[in-house]
Amino acid sequence: MSAKHALLGLLIHRPAYRYQLGERLQERLGPSWAINSGQLYQTVERMYEDGLIELVDGSREDRTERDVYAITASGVEEFDRWFEESTHDARQPRRPLLAKIALAGPDRLKEALRQIEAYERDCAASVNGLTQQRDAIPRAPVVGSRVRADQVFLRLSLSADVAHLEAELKWAKDAHEIVSWLLTEDAIWPPEYGRSGTSKQASERAHAREELFGRIAARSLKEVPGKRREDRDADSSPPPSAGS
Amino acid sequence: MLTPPHPRARDPEPMLRLERISKRFERPGGLRVALDDVSLDLARGQLLGLFGPSGSGKTTLLRIAAGLRRPDSGAVTYNGERLDWMSAAERTRFRRREIACVWSSEPAQERLGVTDHVAMPLLVDRCGRRETDRRVREALLVCEAEQCVGMELRDLSDGERQRVAIARALVSEPRLLLADGPASNLSILEREAIMLLLAELARKARVAVLIAERDAEALVGADPIIYLRDGRLIDPESLGEAGRVYQFPPRGSERAAADA
Repeated sequence: MSAKHALLGLLIHRPAYRYQLGERLQERLGPSWAINSGQLYQTVERMYEDGLIELVDGSREDRTERDVYAITASGVEEFDRWFEESTHDARQPRRPLLAKIALAGPDRLKEALRQIEAYERDCAASVNGLTQQRDAIPRAPVVGSRVRADQVFLRLSLSADVAHLEAELKWAKDAHEIVSWLLTEDAIWPPEYGRSGTSKQASERAHAREELFGRIAARSLKEVPGKRREDRDADSSPPPSAGS
Repeated sequence: MLTPPHPRARDPEPMLRLERISKRFERPGGLRVALDDVSLDLARGQLLGLFGPSGSGKTTLLRIAAGLRRPDSGAVTYNGERLDWMSAAERTRFRRREIACVWSSEPAQERLGVTDHVAMPLLVDRCGRRETDRRVREALLVCEAEQCVGMELRDLSDGERQRVAIARALVSEPRLLLADGPASNLSILEREAIMLLLAELARKARVAVLIAERDAEALVGADPIIYLRDGRLIDPESLGEAGRVYQFPPRGSERAAADA
């Protein structure tokens, strides 16, 4: 999977600076998700051009690390599309299922648990099947019998798969336990997941901020009268009594 | 006399200027230097981060900037007016009109209602009941603390308490915000959320914001970030490699990431 969905998952709860995205990705998903700043830049650019994210602070002309991005409605749509499709291939180095769990947030955690359960079942079934296939082949030449060399190798390969899937299964059980716990224990979600997550509240908040901040900004402009300006100009020559 | 403005400041004229501020306190063991020849400029729309260990003079600096204390020497100029020359009554009036503060020792255990607490600055303005209520709710919503309506101060979590404190500061629509440790005692994520809010306040509302924290890490998004130690400002450049950490964005890590 691309870094795109992971970044959308970070932005879905609250806006962030571009440089924060890279850090958070690793913080949340571990070193296999490390993304260099060039990649991050390109991905963010593409997402912006595709209308998945928008700039809420900063300017397009003068792009800096301080630009703040937020997810758009079509970004949320894209994230949900990805979230609900079932993709779990244990061999991908960047594990989509892990990303889904880490990015789920309170709203999507049930869906994440459903996918963990499905993955657990898949792994268990594969472990059984592969174990049977493996055990049908003798491990090493039995004294007095002959073993085909290629079958020994096949057995070796199968046992690697079994070992791998057993580890996956163990991980999935762990994930199952933790996510069930999160669902029942009324876990605390940090504000990064959007304390008041619904989009209605978010837009109310954005509106309130715009209004209050606009009022304060207007006040600043209005109340710097010409008289003060003259005072300041006068101050730029050494004031008579400031030398003390 | 005018020092060149900070190159990244959007407003070339500083709103607040501290010039060669010194302050000493008498202590049982003798005189203690709290601030020693500190100068800084703060422009409208700027988010300035100040950090240093406890006892380095951060709070004293904020109190002087707020006009709550007079410096022993030096000048405090706010939009061209000498704050340190005003009488106590004048300063109080001025502060109410222009400045809001968030202190690190915000009341914690009180049985006071959150809305009453946030409404306090409006009492002086003799705002109508309805108007007060509207503005209090608006400020709480802006600070992501709308769920605290109807709670008492003692019911709040650490994060909520800081949000409520910021809401209380914003309700009077100040032009200068001084915050002492607004993000201390919070998780990294809570801190970031608060810093993001203050950054937006600086950029969109054009408020001059000065934040003091013990750790530079807490000052995400502040620009510039300055370091106070034993009452003196330390130039990050003089710290060599270590000083880079305090520049925004942390250039060292950017470069390392690009090389990888």
